[in-house]
Amino acid sequence: MKEPISVNLGEVVVSSDPADVLVAYGLGSCLGITMVDRQRHICGLLHAVLPHRLNGADPYCAKYVDSGIEGLLDAMLKAGADRRNLIIRMVGGANMLTTAGLSKTFDVGTRNIESAHETLQRLNLPLHAEETGGHSGRTVRVYVATGRVTVRVVGGVEKDL
Amino acid sequence: MTTAIEFDEKLVDTLRSITTIGIHNAVRGFSGLLGHKLEFGDPDVKVVPLTQIPMMVGGPENEAVGIYLRAEGDFNAQIMMILPLEKAFQLVDLLMEQPEGSTTFLGSLERSALGEVGNMTGTFFMNAVANALKREIRPTPPAVMVDMVGAILDIIVATTGGVSDQVLLIQTCFKDGSRSVLTDFWVIPDAQSLQALRQVEKRE
Repeated sequence: MKEPISVNLGEVVVSSDPADVLVAYGLGSCLGITMVDRQRHICGLLHAVLPHRLNGADPYCAKYVDSGIEGLLDAMLKAGADRRNLIIRMVGGANMLTTAGLSKTFDVGTRNIESAHETLQRLNLPLHAEETGGHSGRTVRVYVATGRVTVRVVGGVEKDL
Repeated sequence: MTTAIEFDEKLVDTLRSITTIGIHNAVRGFSGLLGHKLEFGDPDVKVVPLTQIPMMVGGPENEAVGIYLRAEGDFNAQIMMILPLEKAFQLVDLLMEQPEGSTTFLGSLERSALGEVGNMTGTFFMNAVANALKREIRPTPPAVMVDMVGAILDIIVATTGGVSDQVLLIQTCFKDGSRSVLTDFWVIPDAQSLQALRQVEKRE
């Protein structure tokens, strides 16, 4: 069996190879955004770190939620996906620090989720499902063969999203 | 405005000497707390890319314990200690003078013990930095979390994301008789605070 393709911090991977599994391990405040075109068998995964693109960064820079979503969309379309077929899901955006006094300053997770909602709305892309927020890390997997998207938390089992 | 954080050999040397003093202070503190002498090995200090950390602690999905605190005041930095779950159990056994293998999960007592490790080590490290810089530094209370390595690291990644891809790794060994637990600390000073350290470097 082929090794899963690890989508690291600030990366976008798009694949149409049915043998591929795309995975973003241990998302904390980071967001994993998946796009699936089932009809054309094309899947993509973004692993974004921060909510908004900084001035000077690449317009499709995958480090940021807003530009990362645009970059993922662009890569999907270039790979031959049809925008109307896209099933979009979102995982992550947890607040990892719950200690009083530390959590508020660092709630990047919530800001990432907000940025994703804003960006998808601006691009007129509907969000199919999300498992976001909370205080736990998550791993998201995309099975290119079936378009199946799963989420796993630490000590838990893989569940369909 | 963001300033890229760059570590050069001289800066790492300065940090190594400050850290060694800090760790030696921590040894005394710990031994006092435990009522018997605990030893630390001399710390190994190096600069590693942030993206390599998950692999060093068993992969990004591996379950680990993170102890996190921040230095605030005239010098701002984040201190993170990450231990694979098994090592955290060993460290709790060592601290609580239990036979190895006694700890199998982390309840509030165990978390509190680990928080204390982070607290003391972090505080003694900060005191050493504060003395070297002649500045005031206050630590925040430690946060202890048990989760996937990647998720724990997101705290550092999210706060340094636009600025630095490299962090300072301090490895040291807790020893009690024949038992020892190797621990890794990551210290992530902000860019301005690093400038302050460079001033120390010039004075020396």
